[in-house]
Amino acid sequence: MTGPAPVRVEKALGLMPELEALDPLRALLVSIARPDERALWSSSGPYLTLGKRGVQPDELRRRMPQAFHRITEHLQVLYKAYVEALECQQRADSAGVVAALLRAGRLEEDVGRFTQARAWYGVALGVAEALQDRRPEVESLRAVGYVYLALGQPAEGARHFQRALALAEAEFDQAGATGACEGLGDTALAQEQWAGAYAWYSRGLRLADAAGDASRAGRLERQLGVLARQQGDLTAAGDFLHRARERFESAGAADEMARVLNEQGRLDAQLGRYNAAAAAYREAVAWAQRAPRDAGLELSIRLNLAELDLEAGRLLEAEAELRRAEQVAIGGNVMRRLPQVYTLMGRLRGAQEDETGFVFFEQALELAQALDRSLATEAQVYLAYGLFRSRLGQQDEARAYLERAREIFDSLGEAVERERVEAQLRTMSA
Amino acid sequence: MTHPIRMNPSPLSAVPRKEDVGRLRILVVAAEGGGTGGLVQNLRQWADDGRLEIDTAPDLPRAVRQLASQRWDLVVAVLGEHPDDDLSWWIDTLRAAAGSPRLIAAAQAPSMGLVLRAEKAGVLDVLSLPVRRDELMRTLERLRAMSSETGAAPLPAVEPYAVGPYALVGRSPAMLDVYKLLARVAGSAATVLVQGESGTGKEVVARALHLNGPKASGAFVAVNCAAIPENLLESELFGHEKGAFTGAVTRKIGRFEQATGGTLFLDEIADMSLALQAKILRAVQEREIERVGGGETIAVEVRLIAATNRDLKEAIKQGRFREDLYYRLAVITIRLPTLAERGDDLVLLTAYFVRQFAERYGKQIHSISDRALDLLRGHSWVGNVRELRNVIERAVIVAGDDTLRAEHLPDELRGEAATLAERPQDGMLALAEVEARHIARVLGHTGGQIGAAAEILGIHRNTLTRKMKEYGL
Repeated sequence: MTGPAPVRVEKALGLMPELEALDPLRALLVSIARPDERALWSSSGPYLTLGKRGVQPDELRRRMPQAFHRITEHLQVLYKAYVEALECQQRADSAGVVAALLRAGRLEEDVGRFTQARAWYGVALGVAEALQDRRPEVESLRAVGYVYLALGQPAEGARHFQRALALAEAEFDQAGATGACEGLGDTALAQEQWAGAYAWYSRGLRLADAAGDASRAGRLERQLGVLARQQGDLTAAGDFLHRARERFESAGAADEMARVLNEQGRLDAQLGRYNAAAAAYREAVAWAQRAPRDAGLELSIRLNLAELDLEAGRLLEAEAELRRAEQVAIGGNVMRRLPQVYTLMGRLRGAQEDETGFVFFEQALELAQALDRSLATEAQVYLAYGLFRSRLGQQDEARAYLERAREIFDSLGEAVERERVEAQLRTMSA
Repeated sequence: MTHPIRMNPSPLSAVPRKEDVGRLRILVVAAEGGGTGGLVQNLRQWADDGRLEIDTAPDLPRAVRQLASQRWDLVVAVLGEHPDDDLSWWIDTLRAAAGSPRLIAAAQAPSMGLVLRAEKAGVLDVLSLPVRRDELMRTLERLRAMSSETGAAPLPAVEPYAVGPYALVGRSPAMLDVYKLLARVAGSAATVLVQGESGTGKEVVARALHLNGPKASGAFVAVNCAAIPENLLESELFGHEKGAFTGAVTRKIGRFEQATGGTLFLDEIADMSLALQAKILRAVQEREIERVGGGETIAVEVRLIAATNRDLKEAIKQGRFREDLYYRLAVITIRLPTLAERGDDLVLLTAYFVRQFAERYGKQIHSISDRALDLLRGHSWVGNVRELRNVIERAVIVAGDDTLRAEHLPDELRGEAATLAERPQDGMLALAEVEARHIARVLGHTGGQIGAAAEILGIHRNTLTRKMKEYGL
């Protein structure tokens, strides 16, 4: 006797309205969903997606106290931060008020609640603006800048970083100025403004070196490495990453080592050095294991490793790595990244000329719309879906998906990606 | 910091030399935030016969570097404060390491749950810290015995039943019955239901029927009903008109139409909703379909072959499958045997897959070691031929010379033959261990459902929960 069959996630999610209050329940449901053991060796096993996993209502009921505990824990630290702000207010310690409010914002950011984080940062900024010491204002502006970047509004982000920089320079706040330069560089990089990003990162690096801030200097070198790689200057990218790695390794900064090795892997992959890239990614996973748990970072490394295997034609390894990435995304509550996992899985099936692989793109689209709510992600899925259809000789459908991707990139003003799609469409017409 | 003892471990590319046979290269890795608990010092003292080369890595990243640059026989990993996480990480990492080193995990008072999980994953042993000499040496001897494979036999010749990539391989009585039935029904256009457990080759049989049937010149179109989301399956089967629903970006010709003049293979048919079953029944009876969002009736002339790994009669009793559709599909039923029921077909299938993948990956493999064959024979093939095929594909990728050996097989297989269960010298297990193993097996059977497991075990679920906690399951 094996008890009643589990409910499929696709059905379970269909019964849950799109309410923010239910987000923790949704996350719990997905995290405890398991693939049906019987399906693992069946012919549908290679096509298992989140929707086909099963969940036992009984288990969900048993695990609910854990979810409540996490929610109350989050609210507790949030409320505590607020009470601390009040106590600081009582002591007329306005800088303390700002620090407590910023802490509350960071707590929201940590759980992916960016809009709520922005609200906390906004209040902190209002308090900071009235202070004589401008450093809390600089810090608040940077926090707001980054949250706008996370919300996909780089122009707003840039405006706040610019204000932070102007203030920091006027106040001779070197750390604040370095941080603002880093933020401006990140914004320019996100907008594919290479020259601007290079200028800001370089300026930040000079300031960080002058202040002896090895950690920030390492981060800026890594970002310069990312930038150089994206511009195709692979030698310079290698030099920057090498220096960043030296700085982080001597400091024993595990998470930063994982990030820099992840980037090193991408550089090696671009140079066609498969073994070196794989070794860098695997070491990156090991450093990530040492650092405080960051499922997003681990997922990013595993996706890169899977893509490397995919491009090298090592399809078995790619599939195994993608299944691990899927587990990290589900277990680590970073479901927003699942569309990336399933898009790569679809590409893998495309490489095997397996038509049923379309189910991964369909699942990726559904999740991009329901969980990620990011148009850019949706466009990327459509682009990959179009290429998949094209590879299978289904040109009408391929064209339709590519046109949809072009339309979305157009609406987002993403010129580089739009051009990529346009080039594909031209190739198909030729 | 590393401390080589007798000689530097071989570089990655080195082929083992004759004098290396029996010598084990061991990498001892400290726990995160801790040391090796005196293990390295002890190992050095115990390595008095010149047959152990020991090196250490102070942490996981440095261990990964050493695994990437050198070849190792064994990793002894000291697990830290989160032994389960550490163990999973090591199993995952060693899968990707060159030379497939085996793993011994050392932990402070390992729970029975940890031991059982390690056993399932093929870990060579889980030892308690501080490690006892006799325990470790016994495990190393076992590893040596496993590594020294002497006998090997050439791969037997295989004559597949059908040609091409969809060959049916095997000469067992169970398969001979299948071939006879295939020969009788292939020539007709009758609808066939193929039944059998997952991985027994239902699609291969369907393709053989098609290739040997009257519609062989037409297309063979396969649809996996369980793989496709329910909301997409109807349009996948019957097609749709442009704009019929959100996402219908172009007109789509469905699989029924694509298969006209050929064969439509509906795999995992039991996973279809009752509403869709009704539409399939109509298509089978009337030989016509309508595209989703279209009003036109389209005639379809296809041979239908359906397959399932479920008991359809039971599904009918439970009201999950239409009886009228069952009788339409099961005009002729072919039941496929499990791999366990096929005896020495396993050897023929192994030889067939080795040759197939050796060709694909540019390898020259002509023989298989006795021990590898023993391990393959001893494995319980839950996934049947599909699982065997996967195992052989991975083994061929890893193999470096002309013989497929035990070391090329996954840890799970190697683990089954000689792991933790062998620890008690007299073969007797403690009562607690027997209980823990039985609970773990029942939980595996119920897919982790505590209520169902408690019912099978005949104990209250609270008692089961307490025991699971006690054994760390």
